[in-house]
Amino acid sequence: MELLQYTLRKLIAGIPLIFGVTFISFLLMVYFGPDKTYDLLGKNPTEQQIAEIRSELGYDQPFVARYFNYVTELATLNFGRSESTGEKVSDLLARTIPVSLALVTPGFVLGNLFGVLLALFAASRRGSWVDKTIMGCSAVGMSISFLIAIIAFQLVFSSSYGLGWFPVRGWNIHSPLDYLRYVTVPTLATVFVALGYNTRFYRAVIVEELSRDHVRTAKAFGVSPAKILSVHVLKNCAIPIITRVVFSIPFIVISGSLLLETYFGIPGVGKVAFDAITTGNQPVLKAVVGLTAVLFVLAQILTDILYRVADPRVSLN
Amino acid sequence: MAAAPETIARVAAPPHQGLWSKAFHKFCRDRAGLVGLWVVVLYAIVALGVWLGLWASDWAEVTGPKWGPVSAEHWFGTNLIGQDIFARALYSTRTAFELGLVVAVLSTFVGAVLGAFAGFFSGGWIDELVLWFMGVIDSIPFYLLVAAIAFSLGDSPYAMYIAMIATFWVGTSRLVRGEVIKLKELEFVEAAHAIGLSEVAIIFRHILPNTFHILLVQATITFVAAIKSEVILSFLGIGIQDGMSWGLMIAESTIEVLAGFFNNFIAASLLMFGLVMAFNMFSDALQDALDPRSVR
Repeated sequence: MELLQYTLRKLIAGIPLIFGVTFISFLLMVYFGPDKTYDLLGKNPTEQQIAEIRSELGYDQPFVARYFNYVTELATLNFGRSESTGEKVSDLLARTIPVSLALVTPGFVLGNLFGVLLALFAASRRGSWVDKTIMGCSAVGMSISFLIAIIAFQLVFSSSYGLGWFPVRGWNIHSPLDYLRYVTVPTLATVFVALGYNTRFYRAVIVEELSRDHVRTAKAFGVSPAKILSVHVLKNCAIPIITRVVFSIPFIVISGSLLLETYFGIPGVGKVAFDAITTGNQPVLKAVVGLTAVLFVLAQILTDILYRVADPRVSLN
Repeated sequence: MAAAPETIARVAAPPHQGLWSKAFHKFCRDRAGLVGLWVVVLYAIVALGVWLGLWASDWAEVTGPKWGPVSAEHWFGTNLIGQDIFARALYSTRTAFELGLVVAVLSTFVGAVLGAFAGFFSGGWIDELVLWFMGVIDSIPFYLLVAAIAFSLGDSPYAMYIAMIATFWVGTSRLVRGEVIKLKELEFVEAAHAIGLSEVAIIFRHILPNTFHILLVQATITFVAAIKSEVILSFLGIGIQDGMSWGLMIAESTIEVLAGFFNNFIAASLLMFGLVMAFNMFSDALQDALDPRSVR
């Protein structure tokens, strides 16, 4: 009951944020977006034709009504048709989002998992050469651009100049084996880039936790180092780790799918967004930007609720 | 017996050592940080030379054959249309510094002012408004925000700058806000109130100068973030619009690498990696040196 109340309160507190992200994406892409009137008209249009198109596009309506229309579009997932292919935007998204999830999920999960493991390893041997090597590699990894990593991994693993083990580009999947063939190189690049930041962040969190009194007490009681790390440290680090994972979703998943799909020619939502950016395809762009922002706000609310479940100390106010 | 207090004085730290002089001494002992700083200075000299027209001024001219090899004349060979890759990579250093400095200075300034006001009036409507705005910016994925801004500005060359500043101030602002909430409870702020200074004067003259150590570190972090984002944005076609940059070179090289020509890719990647790595090392050392909690 208490949890339900808490959930409701969090949802209500999220309303200003949802208003904010929809309002900004509305301003940028609909209100101040390019005027589409003349793209849709033939040569030498009459004034009446112009007025017709403008009312069809909703340009003649007042500001508030246009914003309300945009929010309605977001809520009902009805964005009209793509300007380039004429496909319904909702169908387009339904077709491409699963591809993107299949593409970025392994890299996202492994990047965080290995990040925590390496951080535990480094933190438990703090100051030793193992720690220094891991942190040095993480500093190098942080300095390499995602795009450079993608190109380098493709060259090494996929091209005829390197090992040539995997397909150079594309996404042609009929069996689990195909999936592995196509997903491996993008995953390697994602993990490589994510590891630099993740390891560093998680190590800092774990080192801080290791210096707490309760860890010292556990040591004094003769608890084994492995048990201290897994039970006494990791459990208490759950909150910063969950926060990190949720807040890195937009960076890894969005930038990941944008770059990976563009570079490897994979027909996911990132490729769709890229094409919409380059051609100025408004219905697709506003759907992608609006939806991801709203989904991210909802994900943050969900995290808050998860905290409540994971840690009863979190205040209900 | 007279020698004893002298010895103690020599061994103990000098009295009244402020944050900055302590940080300076600590920084000077950090070898990685010093190497980073010197490499950054070297890059800055290269960028300044390009800006003064001393070198790389012929970056846009065709001076060799298509995909020419590495030679004494062309240190990194030539690209698809015969332009000297080394000159282009050097010229890009200037672009990187221009972008990094503009974005770092402006976003740090915006973050400092908004963060200070939010922190000073914490709990009030200004604070609520700034917090709301930060939450909104954080919720729109960066690359999509850039795309949306570029879309509304009609492919303006400033879209990338505006989007970066609009995004990067948030991190600085959160830190400054937290620090100001602590600072405003201290005696010197109370004293400033007591002698009748206005709140704006207190914020700008007494509180903001005390957050300068945060701002300096944040500016270096923002500088690196700007350079790294440029590469990806230029590849996506919403980055640098005119001129030359490492991002544009790497975007150009994506066609070339599959044809077995790597010079463009290697030149841009190496130069960019060097600057980002050096800046990261410098930034880390600075952070360590300026952190009052860290004791070595």
